[in-house]
Amino acid sequence: MSVARTIAVGFDGSRESESAVRWALLEAHQPHDDVVVVHAAGMLEHLHGALSRDVTPPRVLVLARECNFNEMHLRWFVDDGDACSVLLRAGAPPINADLLVVGSRGKGHRAELLLGSTSLEVVQNATMPVVVVPTHSSL
Amino acid sequence: MVLIVNENYDDAGHEDPGHPERPSRTNAARSAIADLHLGSDLVTAPFRVASRAELLLVHHGNYLDELGAFCYDGGGDIDQDTYATYDSWEIAKSAAGAGLSVIDAMRARDDAVGFVVTRPPGHHALADRAMGFCLLNNVAIAAAALVRRGERVLVLDWDVHHGNGTQQIFWNNPEVLYVSTHQSPLFPGSGFAGEVGGWNAIDRTVNIPLPSGATGDILQRALEELAAPVIEDFAPTWVLVSAGFDAHRADPMAELQLTSGDFAGLAHLATSFAHQPGRVAMFLEGGYDLDALRDSLHATLAAALGATTSTESRSNGGPGAEEVTRAARERRAAIEALHILETSERAP
Repeated sequence: MSVARTIAVGFDGSRESESAVRWALLEAHQPHDDVVVVHAAGMLEHLHGALSRDVTPPRVLVLARECNFNEMHLRWFVDDGDACSVLLRAGAPPINADLLVVGSRGKGHRAELLLGSTSLEVVQNATMPVVVVPTHSSL
Repeated sequence: MVLIVNENYDDAGHEDPGHPERPSRTNAARSAIADLHLGSDLVTAPFRVASRAELLLVHHGNYLDELGAFCYDGGGDIDQDTYATYDSWEIAKSAAGAGLSVIDAMRARDDAVGFVVTRPPGHHALADRAMGFCLLNNVAIAAAALVRRGERVLVLDWDVHHGNGTQQIFWNNPEVLYVSTHQSPLFPGSGFAGEVGGWNAIDRTVNIPLPSGATGDILQRALEELAAPVIEDFAPTWVLVSAGFDAHRADPMAELQLTSGDFAGLAHLATSFAHQPGRVAMFLEGGYDLDALRDSLHATLAAALGATTSTESRSNGGPGAEEVTRAARERRAAIEALHILETSERAP
């Protein structure tokens, strides 16, 4: 009998992160697998209040429906910090992710070319298995 | 006492339209200093740019190379908060150099308070990564330079955000004591009371997380009760302050409720932590409401110089007493746990 897993996936509103969410929702095929969609709230987001902490963004709900994912097992989690730190914390409480899914590129593509990508840093420092979903994924 | 500030330099090239970390912040800070009317008691430390060797005391060489290349390629958004422009690399090196220059000027005398008017701010910058509006960690670079000279440095960080970069850089360094008061939860999501330092520096980090709405009385009491005994034991030869003014109640970036009068109280406290006169230097970090920044800095410097000035009344009555008690408990537990682990690792 398989054990239910918690799959965390980073979401910053970009198309790349949507691909990652879609991959995580399709990967969570065990009946009780949970998917936690994790969003990093930076300093500017606190100022502008871009995404609610309590309400799952409609786009994430649409993705769940498209993947026939049971919304009872979908969780929206906003954590304060930069994307890299927040994703790395997903392996610890309160999420305790068994698997972390990230897009290969987030927002700020140009910086990633010269300053290193969030996904690379996450892979190098994570304490859990990480899946990097390519930018041009067919998902 | 005299006030030593860094020579003004042009930071207008580091700007992203609409971004709150903007050149008018340093203009507001300069205006607050001018309003002190110090005459000959205002001394200017000469302009200089931090050398690569000085930056390497704190930052990784690869990061410096990549940041410089990114800027010379035209810059852009580094992450969701942090930007750089073509000019940012030179401006960031000038910001780091400004701190070193003020410290150098202070070392030649014992009757000065230092204030470093710089941007971009620095306390979120990690050894190998920019974040939270910060490119180079100005206060850490100055602290590292002092440690290299054999000094013991207290970094007191009263910015409303936890200075994760400074904490990380000195996590395992027993010659630096890092003390932070900050709103929590809030960006960058670190700064919990149980973070007390690495194996070589247990109890060299003091974090005091405060809830939204906390007032100056709580913050001041927390520093006196939790941090002051550790600072006394550490006996710093220098006190560097990460002086952010975004804990002011008018600042849009957070929800602490401090007034300019509270910052005057914090300046008194910072001065009391120095074991000899002329060894307190403050670095501008956050502060995004220009009026609050100007008033709070004015009150801070007046208090540090021993001058009288009219300020807002100190704030009191906000939440946070329970959180401070809990923080004290979590600190003790974390330190005890580390000591037990340390003892068991050394056992044969």
